[in-house]
Amino acid sequence: MSAEIHIPTLAPEAVFHIGNLNITNTMVNAWLAIVIFLILGIFIKRSISLKPGKLQNASEFFLDTLLGYFDQVTGDRKKTIRFLPIVGAIFFFILLSNWLGLLPGTGSITVGHNMLLRPANTDLNLTLAMALVSVIGSHLYAFATIGVFTHLGKFVQIKNVFKSFKKFKNGIGEGFIAVFAAIIEFGVGLIEIVSEVAKVVSLSLRLFGNIFAGEILISVISALVAAFVPTPFMLLEILVGVIQATVFAMLTLVYMTVATSVPHGDEEEAHH
Amino acid sequence: MTEETLNTHEETGVAEQSLPASLGLNAQLFVFQLINFTVVAIILWFLILKPLTKTLAERKKMIDDSIDNAKEIETNLALSEKEYQDKLKEAKAEANKVIEKAHTEAKQLGEDMKVKAKSEVEVIVDQAKKSIQTEKVQMMEEIRQESATLIVTALEKILNEKMDGKIDKKIIEDSLASLKK
Repeated sequence: MSAEIHIPTLAPEAVFHIGNLNITNTMVNAWLAIVIFLILGIFIKRSISLKPGKLQNASEFFLDTLLGYFDQVTGDRKKTIRFLPIVGAIFFFILLSNWLGLLPGTGSITVGHNMLLRPANTDLNLTLAMALVSVIGSHLYAFATIGVFTHLGKFVQIKNVFKSFKKFKNGIGEGFIAVFAAIIEFGVGLIEIVSEVAKVVSLSLRLFGNIFAGEILISVISALVAAFVPTPFMLLEILVGVIQATVFAMLTLVYMTVATSVPHGDEEEAHH
Repeated sequence: MTEETLNTHEETGVAEQSLPASLGLNAQLFVFQLINFTVVAIILWFLILKPLTKTLAERKKMIDDSIDNAKEIETNLALSEKEYQDKLKEAKAEANKVIEKAHTEAKQLGEDMKVKAKSEVEVIVDQAKKSIQTEKVQMMEEIRQESATLIVTALEKILNEKMDGKIDKKIIEDSLASLKK
């Protein structure tokens, strides 16, 4: 048995060029997903009514189940609907892209030496783009919900440092403790900025790593034994596709929910 | 640059590339994928998620309204039922009163008519008695007259005209007195 094992490279492969632009196999996969969503969307939009048909019924069931899970994170249906444009797009796009990677032809149809189709999420450019949309989106939602200065105050907690000096009126000891606590809070705020970068890195690399690893696994297994043996791994990949889509979407939802919540100190001040 | 040469260059130059480049990060591809994701988000939101969530919300509102309406109708129905039962009770009570009154009136009317009939009967009987009495008196008078005539005639025949007028008169008066007795 002399099967050629075609292991995908970390970078997506260019399958053709439009002028100076490289069109990669992951982009072909993304476009395929776009076309599917477009067709599905046109069908749903055209046939939508209060008395649903089969397609609308299935879509509503799927969406309503998903909204139920999202509600558990946000605690409010209105918030869920507000975040849905980004979170929903992330979930459904990741899910469909991952499952499209399991279609026959992915990894086997080649253009030149390169695969024509490759799961879109095995491209770090896409996962990074989605991670940036997720994190930047959460900050934009926060600006719109709690105000620019209140949200920025979570990261640059200089206000507490100034306030702490007033505590000296109550005594030198209390003043020093207050200043010390304010400086620590200021430091924690700066660390939060680092954590925002870490969010982007972790989101993008987690999804990329999982899907890329799955793609390599299936490529190797399929090259070694063509029939039956890859099937359990493909079933596993279906599950991985759902899990990764859920993890990415849920984390985005958590970031957005946390970002749009009023800081603890401000909430207490508002009550007083 | 052909695809093969591009890939060969990529494979041989990995060691020289920076970390992001070795992971396949590329500004041009990143922008393309960002555009792809934006297009997906727009299609998903405007063609699928927004219409579906809107329809779900509309249906939920419709169901809530229907439930509220149903509750209101149920409450109204219960009130109407109670009102109907009350009215029915009232009507029954009133009907019973009317029937009772009719019974009493009928009884009273019966009694009155009985009394009236009795008095009328008494009047008729009295009138009959009086009439009989009158007729009796009249008959007696007629009998007396007839008897007197008969006696006179009989005596005339017996005495053959030997008696005078005085004797006749005495005999007649005696006869009448005996008749009265």
